[in-house]
Amino acid sequence: MAQNIAPGIPSTTTTTKNNTEKVVAGRDSHSVSKRLQHELMTLMMSTDKGISAFPDGDNLFKWVGTITGPASTVYDGLMYRLSLEFPSSYPYSAPTVKFITSCFHPNVDLHGNICLDILKEKWSASYDVRSILLSIQSLLGEPNNDSPLNGHAAELWVNQTAYKKHLLEQYKKANDDSK
Amino acid sequence: MSSTTKSPANQEKQWNIIKNVFCLEGTFSLLEGGEGEEEMRQVLRLVQQVGAGQLVLDFALDAIWVTLRKVIVPKFWSHFIVYSKQKNDGDDESSEGSVEVMSRIATAVSELYDSAVSFIPQIHKCEMLVDQTGAVYEACVAGGLMEHFKLHLRASLHSQMPTSFTLLIHKFYTAAFKVFYHTQVGNQGEETDETSEEPIQCGGCDAATDACHCQAITNTFCQVNRQLLELDLLERLAGDVVSSLLLGVITDHVTTTCRDSYDQSRIKQLEKWVENIVVGWLEVVYCGGRGQLSSADPAIQTLVTNSLNQTYIAALYHTYTTTRIDQLFNIVIEYPESQPALEDIRDCLDRTHLRDRLVSSLRSAIQTRLLHPGVNTTDVLHAYISAIKALRVLDPKGVLLELVSEPVRQYLRGREDTVRYIVTSLTDESCSELCEELLVATPLVLDDCPTEDDPSDPWQTWTPDPVHAHTLKSKSQRTADIISMLVNIYGSKDVFITEYRTILADRILSQFNYNTEREVRYLEHLKVRFGETLPLLHKCEVMVKDVADSKRINSSINSDENPRREKQKFPVSCMILSAQFWPSFKEERLKLPEEVTRDLDTYTEAFQELKGNRTLNWKPHLGQVQVEVELKNRTLNLTVTPTQATIILHFEGRSKWSIEDLSSVTQVPKTVLRRKITYWQTQGVLQEVETDVFVLVEGEEAGEESGEATVAGISSPSLAPPAIEEDEAESVMASAQDQREEELQVFWSYIVGMLTNLDSLPLERIHAMLKMFVQGSVECSQQELRAFLDRKVRHHHLIFTNGLYKLPKN
Repeated sequence: MAQNIAPGIPSTTTTTKNNTEKVVAGRDSHSVSKRLQHELMTLMMSTDKGISAFPDGDNLFKWVGTITGPASTVYDGLMYRLSLEFPSSYPYSAPTVKFITSCFHPNVDLHGNICLDILKEKWSASYDVRSILLSIQSLLGEPNNDSPLNGHAAELWVNQTAYKKHLLEQYKKANDDSK
Repeated sequence: MSSTTKSPANQEKQWNIIKNVFCLEGTFSLLEGGEGEEEMRQVLRLVQQVGAGQLVLDFALDAIWVTLRKVIVPKFWSHFIVYSKQKNDGDDESSEGSVEVMSRIATAVSELYDSAVSFIPQIHKCEMLVDQTGAVYEACVAGGLMEHFKLHLRASLHSQMPTSFTLLIHKFYTAAFKVFYHTQVGNQGEETDETSEEPIQCGGCDAATDACHCQAITNTFCQVNRQLLELDLLERLAGDVVSSLLLGVITDHVTTTCRDSYDQSRIKQLEKWVENIVVGWLEVVYCGGRGQLSSADPAIQTLVTNSLNQTYIAALYHTYTTTRIDQLFNIVIEYPESQPALEDIRDCLDRTHLRDRLVSSLRSAIQTRLLHPGVNTTDVLHAYISAIKALRVLDPKGVLLELVSEPVRQYLRGREDTVRYIVTSLTDESCSELCEELLVATPLVLDDCPTEDDPSDPWQTWTPDPVHAHTLKSKSQRTADIISMLVNIYGSKDVFITEYRTILADRILSQFNYNTEREVRYLEHLKVRFGETLPLLHKCEVMVKDVADSKRINSSINSDENPRREKQKFPVSCMILSAQFWPSFKEERLKLPEEVTRDLDTYTEAFQELKGNRTLNWKPHLGQVQVEVELKNRTLNLTVTPTQATIILHFEGRSKWSIEDLSSVTQVPKTVLRRKITYWQTQGVLQEVETDVFVLVEGEEAGEESGEATVAGISSPSLAPPAIEEDEAESVMASAQDQREEELQVFWSYIVGMLTNLDSLPLERIHAMLKMFVQGSVECSQQELRAFLDRKVRHHHLIFTNGLYKLPKN
C-alpha cells in the first residue's frame, strides 16, 4: 500500500501510517472488509444525487468513485472519476483519494491529488465513503483559494465566465484524451 | 495260391477282384453287397499280401467322395433347383402348397438317405481294410470312418446348396410347426376363438377340416427328420429354421399376452408356456413325436434342455422385458394397478441387460408424452409421484428413479405453479395421496443433510448399487420418501414453507371463521416433517396464533360492557395480524367513507387501550362487508369487498357519479374501479348511462337506499377477498414473483452503482460482483440475473452492446 501513496504526501506521514498499518493489518482486515461492505451497502441504498462509488474488480480495498458537479456551479453536469484506496488500518487512517479524470480546480493538482483537510489532518474514523464523496463534491463549487495546488485555477476563479470557459475546454480535452 | 501270385495274368485278376470289392472305379450301381464274410477276408488277405493297403484305401475313399460330389449331392439338390426354376418362371410364387413342398422334400431326403445308406457296406469294407492293413486316412473328425463319411456328405451338400433351399426348408418347417402349434394349442384349449373356426378350416394345414392332412404332414415330417438326424444333417440343415420359428412364436405370443394389461403377473405363466412349446417342438423334431423325450438319446436330451434354458427362456425374458419397456410409461402412470407387471420387469431385469434401454426409453417417453406445455402441472406431478412409487418397485435403491426423473424435476422447477400445487395438495384433504404421505411422520431427507448409515439396515440382504449409482447423489437421498422427493425438486425447504405461508395466509383471510383447528393440525405435521426449528414455520405458527388472538380481542372490544360500542354505527370485527410474521400484501389504495373510518378509529382506540403501547394499521381494501341495499322495490343482502361497499355507499348521497369523480373520492385507480362497478351492474343496482358515468337504478320511483353496512373485520395488516367475486378470487398476498422482484431490486441499486463507476461490464462480472459485495446475498443464478438485466434493457434502463451492459447516458 505504501508505494502507492501519492508523492505529494509528506514522507513522514507515510512511515507512521506504515507502522500503524502493520499493527492493524493482521488483526482485523476482516473487520475492515466488513466495514467497507457495509459502507457499500449504505451507499447503494442512499439516494444522494451525483455521487457514487463501487469496488474496482475483486478488491474491496480499491474503489472507483464518480462525482457529478453540483448544480448552479461552474461544474454543473460535469462528471469526474476518482480512485479511492483504503489502507488496512481504515477507518483509523484516511483513504487515498485522487481524481482519475483530470480536474481543473484550485485544490486539485495536475496528477489528481486533492488538497482537502478531512483527507489529511482532520480525518476521523466517523467519516465514510459517502461523506468523503459529498465533501469533494461540495469542494468543487467552493474551492479553498488560500492554499491552491493549482495556482492558475485559483487566479482564474474570480472571473467565473472565463473560468468556466477554460474549465470546459480542459474537461473536453480530458475526456477526449481518455477516449 | 502263393505260387500263382507272381504271374501277370494272376495279378490282373487279383486287381480286378480288389477293384470290384472296393468299387475303385466308382461304379456303385453294380454293387449288390454279394460278398460273403469269407470272400471278404480273402480279398483283404490279398491286399495285405501285395502290400497295397494304403493305395486301395485311398482309391476306394476317393471313389466314394467323387460319387458323393458328382452324383448324389447334385441329384439331391436338383429337386430344389427345379423348384426354384419353376418359381422364377411363374408369378405365383406361393402356388406350391405345403403339401407339395412336403412331398418334394420328403422324396429328396429319402433318396439321399437311401443313397447314403447304400454306401454303408462300402464304408464297412474300408474300415476293415484300415483295421487289417493299418492303412491310414486323413482323420478330420473323431469317431471313425463313418463320421468321416458324414462329414464329407455335409461338406458336399453345403458346397452346392442352392439359394432356394433355405426358403423351401423354411416353408417345410413352418408348415410342420403350424400343425404342431395348432394341435398344441388345441390340446391346451387356450385360444378358444380358434376352435370355433375349426369346422370350416383346419388351423393346422389351412385345408378344409374334412380334407385335413395334418396327420400326413406330421408323418412325412417325422420321417424326414429321422432320416436327416441319422445322417447328422438335421442340425446343420434345419437347426436355424427350427429355432427361428420358436423365437418368432415366442415373440408373438409375448406381445399378444402383454398387450395393454398390466394388472397380472405374466412371467410364470409365460415360462410354463415356453417350456411346453419348446420341449414339445424339439421333441417332435428330434425324437419323432410328443412325449418321446424321456426315451430318446441322452445327447438329444441334453441338447433340448440346454437350448431350452439358454436360448428360449432367455429369449422369453428379453422379449418380455423389451415389450414391457415399450409400455413402461403407461405402466408407471397406472401404478399401483400395474404392480404385478412391475414386479415381472424387476425379476426380468436381473436376467437381461436391458437396464440402459429401460432408462433411455422411459426418459424419452416422458420427454415426449409428459414434458410439454400441453400437460397440466398437476398431471406432471401425478406422473412424477407415480414414477417415484413405481420405480421404487423396480429398483428399491432408487438409482433408476434418479436417472429417469432428473428431466422431470428439471422441468417442474421451470413451472411456476409447481410449488403452489404441491403445497396445496399436501394440505388439501381431498387430495388424499400426498396428504397421507404427510401424515407419515418421518423427517425430510434432503440433499444437504447426509444421514449416517442406518444401523438397522439388515446387512444380510445387502446388495451392491447398480452400475450407474456412482454418478449419482447419496444413497439416503435416493431412497427418500415422496414428499422429500418433491421438496427436492427445489432442493430447499424454504421455498415450500414460504409458499405454504402464502397459502395459509390466503386461507385464513378468505375464511374469516376464526377456526384454526385444521391449520394447527397441518402445521404440526409440517413441523415433524420439516423440523421444528425452521424460522419460517415459526412464522406460520404466529400467523395461526394471530387468528385466535384476534378472536379474543374482538369479543373483548365488542362486548356489551365496552362503552364505545354504543358509538359505533357499524359493528367491526377484525383480524389482527402481526405484520412481522406475515408475507407481504398486495398494496391497493382505498379511502373508506368518513363514517366507516370513524368507527375503525374507535376500534383502534379500544385496541390501544387494551394493548397499551400497540396500535393498528388498517388495510382497508382487505376484508369483507355485509351490506343491505334498500332500493325502492327490493332489498339486497350481500357480502362484498370493502371497495365495492365503498362504491355503493357513495351512491347513497348522490345517484350519479362519473368514474373520474369516484376515483378521486375513493383513491381507487379508475381501471380497478371500473372492474368493481361491474359487480353492481350485474346486480342491477348501477347502470352506465353514458361512457364512464353511472347512475343508481331504483325502480320506477326514486327511493331511499341505505348502506346499512356491517364492516366485518378490517385488520392490522389485512382482510381477504370475499368468495362471491367470481373473477377476483386471486390471492391477496404479493405473489412469490413479486417478492422476488423486490429482492432483485436490491441488486439493481448495486448494479447501477457498479455501472456508474466501472462503465460497462459483462454478465459474468456483474454476477460475480453481486455475489461478492452484496451483503446477506440473496441467491440469484446467472440465468435469472440475465433475465432480469434483459428486462431492464427492454425498459431502456440499460444498454447491452458487445456482450457488455452499461447505463444509458442520463
